[in-house]
Amino acid sequence: MSLLGELVAAGLLVILATACLFDRHLFRACLAFLAFALLMALAWWRLEAPWLALAEIVLGALLTGMALFHALGRLGEGCRLPPRDHQARPRHQSPVRWLAALVWLALAGLAVWELSGNSPLVASGEVSRRPLLASGLAIMALGLWAFAHHLHLLRRLLAFNVLGSGVFLLLAGLAGPVVEVQGLILVGLVVALVGSVLGAALLGRLYALDGRVTLGADRDAAP
Amino acid sequence: MSVSSAASLSTEVVVLWLTLLVPALLGALAGCFPPRRMLPVLLIGAPLVLATLWLLHRVSVSGEFQGTWSPGGLLLHWRLNGLAGLLLLLTQLLLLASASYAVGHRQTFAVAERAYAGFWPLLGGLAVALGLIWVADDLLTLYAALELMGLCAVGMMLLPGKQEALVAGMRYLLYALVGSLAWLLGVALLLGASGRLDMAGLAANAAPGPVTGIAMALLAAGLLLKAAVFPLHGWLVPVHVSAWAPVSALHGALVVKASFFILMQLWQRLVADAVAAAWLLGLLGSLAVLWGGLQAWRADALKQMVAWSTVGQLGYLMLAFPLLAGTSAAVASLAWQATWLQLAGHALAKAAMFMAAGNLVLATGERHLSGLAGISRQLPLSLMTFGIAAVTLMGLPPSAGFTAKWLLLQAAILAGQWLWVAVLVAGTLLTAAYVFRVFRFAFAEDAPHHDVRVLPAGLDLIALLLALSALALGLGAEWPLALLREGGRP
Repeated sequence: MSLLGELVAAGLLVILATACLFDRHLFRACLAFLAFALLMALAWWRLEAPWLALAEIVLGALLTGMALFHALGRLGEGCRLPPRDHQARPRHQSPVRWLAALVWLALAGLAVWELSGNSPLVASGEVSRRPLLASGLAIMALGLWAFAHHLHLLRRLLAFNVLGSGVFLLLAGLAGPVVEVQGLILVGLVVALVGSVLGAALLGRLYALDGRVTLGADRDAAP
Repeated sequence: MSVSSAASLSTEVVVLWLTLLVPALLGALAGCFPPRRMLPVLLIGAPLVLATLWLLHRVSVSGEFQGTWSPGGLLLHWRLNGLAGLLLLLTQLLLLASASYAVGHRQTFAVAERAYAGFWPLLGGLAVALGLIWVADDLLTLYAALELMGLCAVGMMLLPGKQEALVAGMRYLLYALVGSLAWLLGVALLLGASGRLDMAGLAANAAPGPVTGIAMALLAAGLLLKAAVFPLHGWLVPVHVSAWAPVSALHGALVVKASFFILMQLWQRLVADAVAAAWLLGLLGSLAVLWGGLQAWRADALKQMVAWSTVGQLGYLMLAFPLLAGTSAAVASLAWQATWLQLAGHALAKAAMFMAAGNLVLATGERHLSGLAGISRQLPLSLMTFGIAAVTLMGLPPSAGFTAKWLLLQAAILAGQWLWVAVLVAGTLLTAAYVFRVFRFAFAEDAPHHDVRVLPAGLDLIALLLALSALALGLGAEWPLALLREGGRP
């Protein structure tokens, strides 16, 4: 695969992540996430990790997608959530979250910079891993922003999933598609799936109980 | 599973893996046939404790066991040393106590049948996860076990099914998930820098430098979030307020400690000499001691108080980092023993305290401290259990808390780090203040009589036994401390 192809794929991933995290229309956001997960599977395929690609399709796209659509009320019975997210976070709540997200991102960026400069592992890998690292960082940044900023629980679950995918891409970009990386990503995918299913079920229950779609009046340190 | 260690398939290895994995099977079984009485649970769980005792004996005779196994081309490492064995024993004891307590809890408190059945598989999963965390020696197993533990813990916290439990559980879930991503990113950096996942390989290959430092910072952030250490403790108290007593007991005693254990293992191997960072952790711990103590003193619900006290007591564990970094061998040895003794003593006492508090709440139906006025006349045993557990938390002799704090004090004085001495004293005073606040309400003479529900004798007995074992651990601390001196310190 040429460098150009890698660049296009990485760019598409970032665009889909942006679409998924910025769209206030929840159904469209979930669809964008589905496409994003399928593209991730393609990325694993091209890294010569077919099992990982299969796991991403089944766990990341299919099952997570089902959980999300179920929470939205588009699949099976259940309360139907309002189709749009109208929540806006009050400005005064943000600084600490922003700081945490920026510190996380700065640390990760610095470490990736250091590693891609002088690590034997990355140096031995082809140049084609560079787009993977760049897109991983960008997707992580988007996920962090969305997780810190959004109030709607479904959008926070989406943000968590995107953030996780960003970390996986970085992992694969830093260490190559060795078996340890595949093991870590596989565990990560299972955890993300269970977390998403649990979170979506909880959101459904909370909405049915008292019509809330956020954690509500957070007194002090909310995540 | 293919075990390929130097000792090949010795009896010890088989017994170890059976003790680690059988709880999952038992949990699934109990999920299908939820137990109705305590005795069968005790009888079925006791062999696990005995097996762990035997393993510990073997470790003390013939030293550390270790081995590897390789599923699908991966190479995963495990080891059982004195420290891991002791923690495994503690885990088995507390799991047994909590499982039996849950049966009694079900007998007194109307619990939805489905929620009660769901408790058991989650308990089994938690048991496996905790066991794996103590024996795992590579980052992949640790990651899987950490996540299994976190998800099981969240599931258990959700069992009451009430709205406040669901909101608290959701917040816990989000925190736990983000914490695990921070951890995974740290692992990614370490793997990228050294190409290894096993602890020994990491320690040998990780060059000290910015990348290792950043990776450790991310790992520490994820773990501190899961351990509810001071600025990241926001999720802990609401979760405990609405959870069942046996779940709270296990969570406060073991789940938050497991993250601390992993952090300590990694820290000692990767950045053992980072004095400034270790002091930062120590300072966070000091703030936790003070803030947790103050909030516990101000709390008006009983379980809230006990949960805040967990935040405070976790702070003492963090004092180990500055006392282990760049200090003399004598200081480090003292601090090392003190930390694990404090962890074990606090685990036993906190489980006992959560159960005693649960008994008081169950019997009276009152959640608030002011509602417990005059309860000493009617529930003396539950209150006494609460008091004995508090002896360990305050660090009065002859409890494990006293021995641990005494060792910690010695280490701090020997190292000339006087700040921690002040923190220890302040923490003890604060603990005394919030504990005696409960007794002030409980011993009120002019309060009206409560309608008290009669609890099964087992509930009080289990809590009392745990509280007494925390005292006994202080008296018989020599045996665990000898095991700790021999092995476990990387």
